[in-house]
Amino acid sequence: MARGAENRQGSRGASRGLSWRQYKAILRKDIVMELRTKEMVTSMGIYALLTMVVYQVALSQAGTAFDPRQIAAGLLWLAFIFTSMLGLNRSLVHEKDQGCLEALLLSPVDRPVIFFAKATGNLIFLGIVEILTVPVFSFLFLQQGSYEGQWWMIPVVLTAGSMGIAGVGTLLATMSVNTKGKDFVLAVLMVPLMYPLLLAAVSATTVAVLGGADAGSQFWQAMALIGVYDAIMLVACFGLYEFVIGA
Amino acid sequence: MRQLKIAVVMLLIGGLLTTAAFFLAFYTAEVQRFGTVTLSEEIDSAYPLVGVSNEGLQYERPWFSQKIFYFHVPVAEASFLVLILSAFFGVRFLTTRRKEYDTKSRIAMETALTFVALTMITGVLWTKASWGVWWDWEPRLTTYFIMMLLMVAYFVLRNSIEDEERRAVYAAAFAVIAAIDAPISFFITRLIPSQHPVVFKSGFATSNLLPFILAQVGMLMIGYAIYVMRMSEERMRERLEVAKEALED
Repeated sequence: MARGAENRQGSRGASRGLSWRQYKAILRKDIVMELRTKEMVTSMGIYALLTMVVYQVALSQAGTAFDPRQIAAGLLWLAFIFTSMLGLNRSLVHEKDQGCLEALLLSPVDRPVIFFAKATGNLIFLGIVEILTVPVFSFLFLQQGSYEGQWWMIPVVLTAGSMGIAGVGTLLATMSVNTKGKDFVLAVLMVPLMYPLLLAAVSATTVAVLGGADAGSQFWQAMALIGVYDAIMLVACFGLYEFVIGA
Repeated sequence: MRQLKIAVVMLLIGGLLTTAAFFLAFYTAEVQRFGTVTLSEEIDSAYPLVGVSNEGLQYERPWFSQKIFYFHVPVAEASFLVLILSAFFGVRFLTTRRKEYDTKSRIAMETALTFVALTMITGVLWTKASWGVWWDWEPRLTTYFIMMLLMVAYFVLRNSIEDEERRAVYAAAFAVIAAIDAPISFFITRLIPSQHPVVFKSGFATSNLLPFILAQVGMLMIGYAIYVMRMSEERMRERLEVAKEALED
């Protein structure tokens, strides 16, 4: 009796250790592949840079009185959402084209582990692109005005927002990679679903850039919205991933 | 077949109820007042004179555009309910893997999209009459618009997958995520400041409640009828496909 319980506990402990190892293995595979090809970060980075050029065109007639800091947050998140769609599509297209997804499904790996590993990988690559983009963006657009916000808010909102993008995006990219119009379908599914997150993230980032009297309360209000969105959506995606990847 | 007969009866009753509600809304329901209007001379009006200012006489202004409420709100509530129903069938499909639930989920989504289109049309008309603009990015309108985009995306997703089983699973999963927006859109006017009126919080006259309830019940019956009729059409088409295949063999 006692031994049976012990055994069961032992095997459960082992499986937990195993899934942690599986998680690390899938994540490492993604990172190693990225280090070898450098495809995702390069393409996302260049795409982000091109977005900045387009922004310059859009703002070229705004005149000197216009303060770009007012819309800086919106422009930043616009760049992130579009680059992330590019990256997400790539990350799953590779898996599918080279038969890696099938191999993953054949191996005795829990489906949720695949979801979390892929989402973490996407989060890391998106994070790298964001770290590169933010300084470039402020260098190009935010030199006139002084910075009045609190700088620590920016990494906080970037992390929380990217978690939502990577989580929901991994589920949607897994779907869209099996459709006829891959990247188009991803955009159609992703943009409306991301709307609440983007709205809250832009509001929090604007507070972080502009500051203001009640910056703290406004920031945490928006962060609470992001937190609720992340929680609901990650749970939903986690629950649905098993069905989606098996189909 | 019996279900289809019930649906036809429901459609007739629903049509009668909504028509009755329409007449009641104009004949018995109290006309809401909306601010005042200043006129230069005295007129014969059913609306009371509230004051005299330097510019002229101030009459209470009847709010006729409010009448669209008896159509707009029932249709909107029906759209939320049918979307949730579609997600429910999606969950049923994912757990049972029976094809009929996929069809039910799709037809429910179609019905919901019809109601969303009607809500949007009536809403835009009301917005123009009441706010002076066709569209405003305020919380309720925005979340509802997003909901509509999600439902359109559902059909884009379906159309771009050829494998039947896969299409059903993906569509069900997406219906579940999309339905998360329905409660958000419904409760958002109650949670954060919004221009969109929340009628049942601000009180309601009994003479206005009756046409509203009639219209709401009638609209739900019409929704049910549309759903059942489309379902039976779909079943017949499936039978036709089977018969065609049998003939070819």
